Parts: sequence; structure tokens; C-alpha cells
Amino acid sequence: MRQTRRFRSWRFAPVLGPALLLAACAAEAPEQPASGTDAVRGLNGSWEAYPQRSFGLGTADEAEAPVPPPAPVPEPPLRPEYLETWQAERARNAELTRQGLPPVSSGMACLPEGMPAMMLAIFPMEVLETPGQVTIVQEAFNQVRRVYLDEAPLAPEDAEPRFSGHSVGRWEGDTLVVETVGVKDYVRFRNVPHSMNMRVTERISLVTDDIMQNQVTVEDPEFLTGPWSWTWMYRRWPGYRMQEYVCEDNRYFEDPELEYQRLRID
Amino acid sequence: MKVPTVAVAVSLAMLLSAPVQAQAPPDLSGVWAPYRGGRGDDPSLAPPPASPIVLKAPYAERYEERRAAEREAVERGEPLATDAVFCMPYGMPRMMSVALYPMEIIQRPQQITIVTEAFSEVRRVYMHEPQLPVGEVPPGYYGHSVGRWDSETLVIDTIAIKESVPGYQGMPHSDRMRITERIRLITPDVLHDEITIEDPVTLERPVTYTHAYRRMPGYKMVEFVCENNREYVDENGVVRMRLREN
Amino acid sequence: MAFAPRRPRAIVRAMAWRPRARVTGWCLALLLAGAGGAHPLLAHHSFAMFDTTSQVTLSGTVTSFEWTNPHAYIELDVAAERGAVTHWSVELGSTSILMQGGWKFNDLKRGDKVTLVLNPLRNGDPGGLLVYVTLPDGRELGNGPGRGRGTR
Repeated sequence: MRQTRRFRSWRFAPVLGPALLLAACAAEAPEQPASGTDAVRGLNGSWEAYPQRSFGLGTADEAEAPVPPPAPVPEPPLRPEYLETWQAERARNAELTRQGLPPVSSGMACLPEGMPAMMLAIFPMEVLETPGQVTIVQEAFNQVRRVYLDEAPLAPEDAEPRFSGHSVGRWEGDTLVVETVGVKDYVRFRNVPHSMNMRVTERISLVTDDIMQNQVTVEDPEFLTGPWSWTWMYRRWPGYRMQEYVCEDNRYFEDPELEYQRLRID
Repeated sequence: MKVPTVAVAVSLAMLLSAPVQAQAPPDLSGVWAPYRGGRGDDPSLAPPPASPIVLKAPYAERYEERRAAEREAVERGEPLATDAVFCMPYGMPRMMSVALYPMEIIQRPQQITIVTEAFSEVRRVYMHEPQLPVGEVPPGYYGHSVGRWDSETLVIDTIAIKESVPGYQGMPHSDRMRITERIRLITPDVLHDEITIEDPVTLERPVTYTHAYRRMPGYKMVEFVCENNREYVDENGVVRMRLREN
Repeated sequence: MAFAPRRPRAIVRAMAWRPRARVTGWCLALLLAGAGGAHPLLAHHSFAMFDTTSQVTLSGTVTSFEWTNPHAYIELDVAAERGAVTHWSVELGSTSILMQGGWKFNDLKRGDKVTLVLNPLRNGDPGGLLVYVTLPDGRELGNGPGRGRGTR
């Protein structure tokens, strides 16, 4: 066979072409963790309550309302034997506040809000999606809750009582359905009493790319006559860096006689 | 000699595609418990010994005095108060190894979040960003951390830890302390975090020590809320335990 | 070559990391407390409030079991010979460390009758650090990550 030194470049094209293409694609591909997908469900990132609650530090302009804000949280459908006491306490607390004597609260002792109150997101919130888990961090009191996907819910009697309870979730189409049990009975939202059998269901989905809604339902047959439901919403806050929250200079204490909050002045 | 076309093409393709394999970083996600070894464990998994803390004057003398006072207090049965008596968290770098409490690494491409079980502390490492200038970050318990991959090693740079946050082994530090970590998998189930502390104000030279962790597959992190703290400091500065009457 | 950890391995492997029974975390912490080193194992406080060289055995009725952080507590009414009751506060580790040692949040409740061994407070107050407890169902639980009794 006659040998030749001429570089027959056209012969390489079928192999070189794809190789170069591959290299070009590799150069542009963003880094991916070795395990699983970068779960692109859109919940990742920093969020603030919508309408804004961040004391003027968020992105929302008062006049801007891309979607209708949710209705206020309705009155809890407490059973008659608990309703009167709850209403009386609410009235008393409102009166104390009106007099400038704010009632004692868990926050006064730097205790976290727990579930479901933490999902009010009084400060910003961070959602982290990783395979098998959705982790939500609330800046207020640095509360961390974990939603385990594809796991069976715990029976309430097996759930160690916690501030944030135990949460399992599953995707139904584009909605993340989360069930939470095991919230300590002294961890209350709006001072509403509940049992260890309380169950909180959340249906979380994106209304737009930047607005997330959380349809919350609380069920507790021992204390409530029926489901207690409302919707909370959050607006994406791109680029917001979550701040730390360490309760290191707590100057609030309970007045020993009158059971209201006082501020220690040194 | 005629070089086979196929061989050249394959070599070229492999050469060009090599960057793709090198770009996928290791996945450190999961729950890890401080690993202090036990009888029969493989010694190659153990962390190397720590370097000594060499402080500048006058910090060195004050540090020794404080350590001596702590030892005496413990021997008397009247331990000196630490921040934990007041339910204060550890902050960096001490949160990275607290007794046997696990930590969770939540790894996403742009941010790696680490949550430690004791006091439920959260730190965030922002990936592939330049570090901020020291004076621009308000000092805190966790500072500001940026990270990058050096081949298989996660390299983290942390600044802006405030002075009141207790230092490694109780050493004094300024808010110009800088913490560098090199985190890597020694085996698929053993992680090492080599921590180097530099402080132009208090340290004569950098201190380096390594924490080892063992993977805890299937472990679900537990909540930690400091709600029942019975410790207090009495009028003599002694830590006491508050009792109940019934 | 990138490590890509696979699915969780056998449970046996998961247990391999735990300290051996004879050298529990608390034991090590006390050794190191004596040595004056601020080893991370000391966690947030030394146990110097308690006399770890002596043990007191108590039998009584649980008035509350507080499954809380930074410490869990067993509150115990102990009847003396002539019927006088002394109330004791017994400190345990944090809930996480207890769970690693086999405890569950509902292992004790008000009204349970238990016998427990503790290291008493040095100042003589009716309080102490749990060494181990015998539950109503006969199980023994310690106060650390090792199962069974503590070794102090």
C-alpha cells in the first residue's frame, strides 16, 4: 500500500467533530453535585412573607401586588369548652398591650415559634431542596425544619414532641404536600391550645416564579370542631443572604407579679 | 508508521472530555458524627495531631492564667461559667465538633449549608465567590464563608467571627481571625476537616488541627432548643443547677 | 476520581463508629477534664458540679420526665423511712445523646416507680447526674451514647 505523509484531516472529522462538541458542552456545563439532580422545583432560595413583613427591608413596594394577597387567618374553630377561655385570654392580652404592657410570649424567652407559626416567616426564610429532603430555615430564631420525602408519616404517639414537629412530604404534580405531627402541646399559634394529635397539612406550590403559596390546614378533633385552614404566601428575594440569629442579648423578662413583659435597662 | 485513525480519535476524545470528569465535585451531603476512633479501628482514618497554639505576648500569659484558673475551678467542683451556661451557641470554629453531636451537610452547587445538632447551629458556605474584605462584614458567630473545590477537597475561607465568640481551645482571637478549612472524604464514609486558624493580632503562627467524622446513614437529625436550662451563675461566680421543689 | 457515596450500607457499619462500651463519652470527658484539656468532648460544661467519685441509689416515683435540651431531667419523689418525702432533680444528657444511647422520649412518665443511681451534687442539694436508671419494665438505661449502664 502506498504510504503518504499527508494529513488527511477530513478523515478525522466524524470523530473530531463530536469530540470537540463534547468538550464545548463540558466547558459550559454548570457544576453539579455527584448525587442526584439539582431538584429544579423552583422552591430553592430566599423568600420573604408576602405581603411584606420585613419591616421595610424587603423587595416589595407597598403599591406592588403581583397577585392578590391571601385572606387573613380566620378564627380558630375551637370546641365550645375551649373557645370562651381562648377569647377571654385574647381580650386580656389585647387590653394589656393597649396599656403598654405586652403579654408574656415564647419569643420573650427566645423560644422558637415552632409549627405552624414559624411558616408565617416574620423574618426571611430559606428553602433548600436536596434529593429526598426539603430543608426550611427561618431566620427568626434560626429555626430549622426538615421535610423528608418518600417516607411514611409517624404515628403521633411515636413522635418525639418538638417545636417543629416531624414532617414528611410528597410531590403531587407541582404541589408539595407536607404532613406534620408531634408538635409540643405548649407550642402554640395564636395561643390556640392543641393536643399531641394535632396534624398540620401544608400544600406548597408556586403561583408565579416569584410567589409561593402555602395552604395550611390544622386538624385536631380534641380541640377543634373542624379543619382550620388559611393561606400564607411568600415572595422570592433573589440574592438575599440569610442572617444569623443568636439570642445573645435578651433583655426581656417576665414581671413576676403582673405576668407581662418587661425590658431590663442597665 | 501509520498511526491508526481510530486510536488517535479516541485519544483526542478522551483528552478533550477529561475536564468533564474532573468538574464533578464529591458529594458530601448527609449526616456525619464526630469520629474519635475506638479499639480496632483503622489508624489511617484517624486525624493527624494538632499543632500547638502559639500566642503572641501578652495573650499567651493571659491564656495560660485562664487555663490554670479553669483547671483549679474544676478540681474544686465549682466550674467557671462558660457561654453554654447561658445557652449560647458555639459559633465558628468550635461548632464543627461538639461531643458526639452529628452534623448535616446540605450540598447544593451554589451553597453548602452545614447544620450541627448541638444548639442547631447553621452556617452557609457560598461557593465560587470572592471573599469579602474583612472590614465589610459585621462580625458574628458564623462569619462569612466562601468555598471552592481544589480537586476533591472543599476549601472554605471564613472571616468576621466576633471576638466574644470563644475560640478554639478557648484561645483569644481578634475579629481579624481567618479560618481555612480543607474538607475531604478519606473513605466514602469518613470525612476529615483540616482547620487552620490565623490571627495577625493574637497568634504567633497558624494553628492547624483536624476533625474526623463518620457517616451516619439513615440518621435523622434531631431538634435542639435550649428551653430547659437549669444552670445559672450564683453571686460567687459559681455555676449551679436549679432544682425543682416537686 | 470522584467519590460518589452509595445508598446507606449495612446497619452493622453504622454502629461501628460508636465508642466501645468501656470508654464512653462521659468517661473520656471526665478524664480529660482532669487533664485540663478543653477537648471538644467536654461539650458545654464539665460535670464538676457533681461528685463523680460517689454514687447514690434512689428509689422513688417520677413526678415529671422532662425530655428537653440542653438537658433532660427526671424529677423524683423519694420517700424516707418515716414517710417524709424528699424531691430530687436528676440531670441527664441532651435528648440527642440520650437517643443515641437507646432512650425514647416516652420511656418514663409521671407516676412511674424507678430505681436510679446518680452522682450527687457536691454541695449536698438533692440533685445529681444520672449514672443509670432501672425502668418499670426492668430495662436499664444509662446517661450516654453507649447502651446499658454507664461506667462511672
